[in-house]
Amino acid sequence: MFSKIASTLRSTAAWRMSAKTTVAFALGSAIAFAVMYSMAAREIQQRSDAWLSGEADVLADISIKTPRDALNDRIVEEVAELASHEVPGELNSKGQHVNTVFFVLTGNDTPPIFVGPGSKNDFLKALGELPFQPGIPASLNVAGWTKPFRVVYHPRGTDGGTYLGFADIAAERMLHRLTGGFVLVWWGIVVLGFLISFGGAYRTLMRVERITETVGHIGSDDLSSRLPISNSSDEIARLSATFNRMLDRIEASVNQLRLITDSVAHDMKSPVTSIRGSLEIALSDGKDGRWRDSVETAVESLDGLLRMLNTTLDLAEAQAGALKLRKETVSLSDLIQQLADLYHPAMAEHSQELSLHLESQVTVEADVAMINRAIVNLLDNELTHLPAGSRVAIRVRAAGNNAEILIQDNGPGFPIELRGRIFERFVKGAHSKGHGLGLAFVNAVARSHGGSVTIADAAGGGAEISLKLPLVPVLSV
Amino acid sequence: MRLLVVEDDSGIQQFLKRALFEAGYQVDVAHDAAAAEAIALEAVHDAFIIDLGLPDMDGLDLIARCRAQGISAPVLILSARRSVDERVRGLEQGGDDYLTKPFALAELLARLRNLLRRAAPPQTDSTTKLMVGDLQLDLIRRDARRGDRVLQLTPQEFSLLEYLCRNAGRVVTRTMILDHVWRMRIDPQTNVVDVHIYRLRSKVDSESVRPLIHTIRGVGYVLKDS
Repeated sequence: MFSKIASTLRSTAAWRMSAKTTVAFALGSAIAFAVMYSMAAREIQQRSDAWLSGEADVLADISIKTPRDALNDRIVEEVAELASHEVPGELNSKGQHVNTVFFVLTGNDTPPIFVGPGSKNDFLKALGELPFQPGIPASLNVAGWTKPFRVVYHPRGTDGGTYLGFADIAAERMLHRLTGGFVLVWWGIVVLGFLISFGGAYRTLMRVERITETVGHIGSDDLSSRLPISNSSDEIARLSATFNRMLDRIEASVNQLRLITDSVAHDMKSPVTSIRGSLEIALSDGKDGRWRDSVETAVESLDGLLRMLNTTLDLAEAQAGALKLRKETVSLSDLIQQLADLYHPAMAEHSQELSLHLESQVTVEADVAMINRAIVNLLDNELTHLPAGSRVAIRVRAAGNNAEILIQDNGPGFPIELRGRIFERFVKGAHSKGHGLGLAFVNAVARSHGGSVTIADAAGGGAEISLKLPLVPVLSV
Repeated sequence: MRLLVVEDDSGIQQFLKRALFEAGYQVDVAHDAAAAEAIALEAVHDAFIIDLGLPDMDGLDLIARCRAQGISAPVLILSARRSVDERVRGLEQGGDDYLTKPFALAELLARLRNLLRRAAPPQTDSTTKLMVGDLQLDLIRRDARRGDRVLQLTPQEFSLLEYLCRNAGRVVTRTMILDHVWRMRIDPQTNVVDVHIYRLRSKVDSESVRPLIHTIRGVGYVLKDS
């Protein structure tokens, strides 16, 4: 469950956007810290080197000026001790003061003097392994110490020399604390920054998502929906406003196109009628000739054209809500029975089997002519599109508050690519010879009666069309 | 028989004039209501064919004015408006029949004949038998014979044959058949009516050398004794 939500979130643009900005921010701030860290470390080392060089000069000076005897050794030792106390030193894990300064005085004949913490031998061994440039600080690793010592060497003429070493553990610890603090704060900022940017991006993109959803719902049948306009004037609000303006323009063009189609259909009726009439005069004189077949074909084609013009105009009226219905109370079963009687022989001729299952007392308030024409459209569809040997069943029944006409067949069903828009104007199958207005007309008639029409797959394959009209309750007298 | 056709579309006007002339009528034409009124007052017409969409006046107003002048000849309304409401309004306001554009010429002629027959003084319309050639229909007993052979017809087939017989010699269109036999104003795109005619023909004409039911392609059907 959680992983599913997480993977859904990960697929969003908000996630990708905030992840990228967070990574960039984390890297950038880490690099900035690294640069600052190295600058601070160098500065600290320079300071401690400067101090070290000064002290070493003093000690070397003293050791050179005083001759080497027991007293001298004591003096040097005291001075070195004092020098080491100038630095604050460090506390070890047990809270004791740890000296991090050492001083070594070597001589050719005398044993070296060592002042400092830890084992004298470790220091002497480490010193013996490195060549030193006089007066220049160098790093020295001593066994048992994690931090290297900075050591300045001054030769004492030809008789050995002085070494002063210092490990600036305080600075080291400070830099460590700084790094630790930074990492902690850095993590916090990165996580918080990610959450804030993700939340912001998510909220913004959800508004885009809502626009996508709304626009997706706007079909060619319903161009009147608009996106909600918020009070803000940010990019998303402007996107919504732009979309709405675009929809306004599309709606206007579509309406204009419909208007043109309709007025063309209307204006074509008169000339086509007179052409058809003239041809009919030619046909009715009864004479035969080679022309006759051509004229007959022309008249049949004109009939097809006129039928299309009429349906276009009916549909235009129905969709504009201008269809004036003359409703009467009729039995839907009687109406279907009549139409079935009309269609039965033609279906038999196509080897199609028509069966009726009519409930009595299914009464509707309807414009009989309109309902007849709608059902004729549906039956014509069955007759044209079903292969021979198919079965068609028509049911009339009361279903809740509706009267339902259910036409089921066992044919190939509706092409999947048409499912969503089968009731739109001029939508038809690739092999259909119709003009794609029939089902749009059925839909318009159903709607004008306060009903609906839907298609579905029939059980066992084939198509199922359901035409629902409001049922008129039968009064028992 | 003298008719007045009031129609502003010159294409339709011309073919109507010619078709009606060929059908044996004397035809006057008018382009608009004003001309129509003048012609109507000048001569007596047996029927009017009036288009509702005239340039200068609504066709219904023209009918009202003619009626006010005492002209009682039947009026066949032509209209591009197909709604049932319009039809009813036309018939209520003085029209005797209503035909929507586009129309088949055969239907116009049939409706015109009906109007003229209704307007004529009632003849002996109590027909109980129809006869075309050797086909006989008994409208009371609802049976049909071809010569001495009794035809086995369903009630629907009998109604169809009766309609063809009543219009014997005249072409009827599929729309007219649906309107009169099935009482439906529909326009199927399929051959539903044709199949009914084929079935009827197989019973009426099967064993006869002289077929009665003829197909006029592109127009409709006619029952006649050729």
